[in-house]
Amino acid sequence: MALLTDKDERFKNLFVKAAIFILLAAIGVGLVFLLTGEKKGAFTEKLPIYFVADSGQDLNEGMPVKFSGFKIGKLSALTLDEQGLVQGQVNIEAKYLKLIRQDAVMSLKKEGVIGDGVLEISQGEKDKPALVAGAKVRFERASGLEQAVVDMKDRVLPILDDLHQALHDPNGDVRQTLKNLRELSAEMRGTREHIDRVLGSVDANINNEAGPLLRSLRQSAVNAEALSARLDHELPALLNKADASMESLRLTSEVIKDAVQRSAPQLPGMLGEVRETLGKTREIIGDTQEMLDSLSTHWPLKNVVPAPEKGPVRMDSHD
Amino acid sequence: MTRFFMLLLTGILAACGSAPVSRLLQAMEQAQAADKDARRALKSGELLRAQHDFARVLVLQQSVDDATGVATTLINLATVAHQLHDDETALAWLDKVLLEKEQIYPLESHITAAFRKAVILTNVARLSEADSALQLSEKLCAVKCTLRFGIGSLRARLLLLKGDAESALDMAQAMSKEKDVEKEEQANALRVVAMAEEKLARYASALQHFQAVLEMDKSLGLSARIGEDLNGMARVSTQLGHDQEAAAYAQRAALVNESYRQSTAATHE
Repeated sequence: MALLTDKDERFKNLFVKAAIFILLAAIGVGLVFLLTGEKKGAFTEKLPIYFVADSGQDLNEGMPVKFSGFKIGKLSALTLDEQGLVQGQVNIEAKYLKLIRQDAVMSLKKEGVIGDGVLEISQGEKDKPALVAGAKVRFERASGLEQAVVDMKDRVLPILDDLHQALHDPNGDVRQTLKNLRELSAEMRGTREHIDRVLGSVDANINNEAGPLLRSLRQSAVNAEALSARLDHELPALLNKADASMESLRLTSEVIKDAVQRSAPQLPGMLGEVRETLGKTREIIGDTQEMLDSLSTHWPLKNVVPAPEKGPVRMDSHD
Repeated sequence: MTRFFMLLLTGILAACGSAPVSRLLQAMEQAQAADKDARRALKSGELLRAQHDFARVLVLQQSVDDATGVATTLINLATVAHQLHDDETALAWLDKVLLEKEQIYPLESHITAAFRKAVILTNVARLSEADSALQLSEKLCAVKCTLRFGIGSLRARLLLLKGDAESALDMAQAMSKEKDVEKEEQANALRVVAMAEEKLARYASALQHFQAVLEMDKSLGLSARIGEDLNGMARVSTQLGHDQEAAAYAQRAALVNESYRQSTAATHE
């Protein structure tokens, strides 16, 4: 070391330089730890509160505790007591503890449909005293996925039955609309023929030019007649398609029902079924979208979208 | 390492091959959507919006080298400019199709562009230039094309404007008897018949033909031409000494023209 120091100017005070470098690095690392710790709440005062659960299922040490959507603490310990009940300890930041009342309830919920579990603590009644460190709160499990699926089934099945009934009832709105359209077609044909006769008998000396108006009326009658004929041809196919989609929805609901019955206590298995069901639902949504696109193109109550024009716009020899 | 480079190379090649395709499709879809908007605007009489949208379509079609689409849009831009009474711009757009040295545009587009150029030049009384443009369209159309009847009808009209009423009458009469043609062009041919007869002082026959054209134009709802027909009937009736009828026709023509002017002005606002 002495030999190098003597011969090369750059090695003068090498020890001091290295020490400063190491010191700066150590300070940097320390600052990073400090800032990260501060951000993670390592230096924030936390106070314990407790709850008792009938089972430790879905409860994990470290899971966050939320209040009004904000993380205010975490589940720090889970132990089994002499009665076989689960004792949970959560550490909550002291500054938030005063916001929570003694009758607050700790609920185990899911973030999203199949998301991670989270403990959500309610505020409680405002007239009750604030919660103190070491106090015990009531614990409950919020409605799980199974309950959500059962609820959905209970709501969807009656709607499906109603729709099925509406599509197949010969006196229902859909079938009646089709019948009315057929009648309208016949009437429009008569109207057009009548307008044709009127157009043919217009007196050349009529002062107001009613011809263009009559021609426009005639065109409307022709359009309605053509549309009705087209609909008469295409609506049965669309109805069949609607029936098929309804059947798919019914099958899906059966899959859900079956899954609920088979896997009620086993959530992981349930999740697999639900994923499969979601996949099928996506397919059905695709089918339904296709059907809706088709309806939006042909349904008479909407503007019929004409086929896109390709060639040059119209212009004749006298324009 | 070799495998890594092979994988990297495959990835780069896939990226090079696939990226332009998606951009191409995107541009084509945008062009189709803009074209639809432009046609809708044109139908509703919003000419300036139609012009703006067609200009956008043109840029998109040029970006994907869609020659057929570009030719159609150039013709559409010319048509809109003509409807905006900016005939010089309209002719400039059509010349972009006609003067293209590389044969990139389809024959049908050349015929249409030449025909529309002839129509516009006829309307502004540049008859010799109109004749050249029409000759070009006749040459390109040869035996049979979709514009054959329109070209024939315009030829008859041009002959009449040049003073050759006999030839115009013969040609227009032949055209008006043809079947399976557009009603508008059939009415145009019949109008040329009526005007040629008026020129040849065959007033009674001219009046009959004007009445027939009027009925056709009324059935087509072409207000501007209804006014023109009524004016023709007023002129011919005057020549026949039917002054009372002539005054009635003239009054009807004035009413129709005023109504058309007001409706056009309202749409442009």
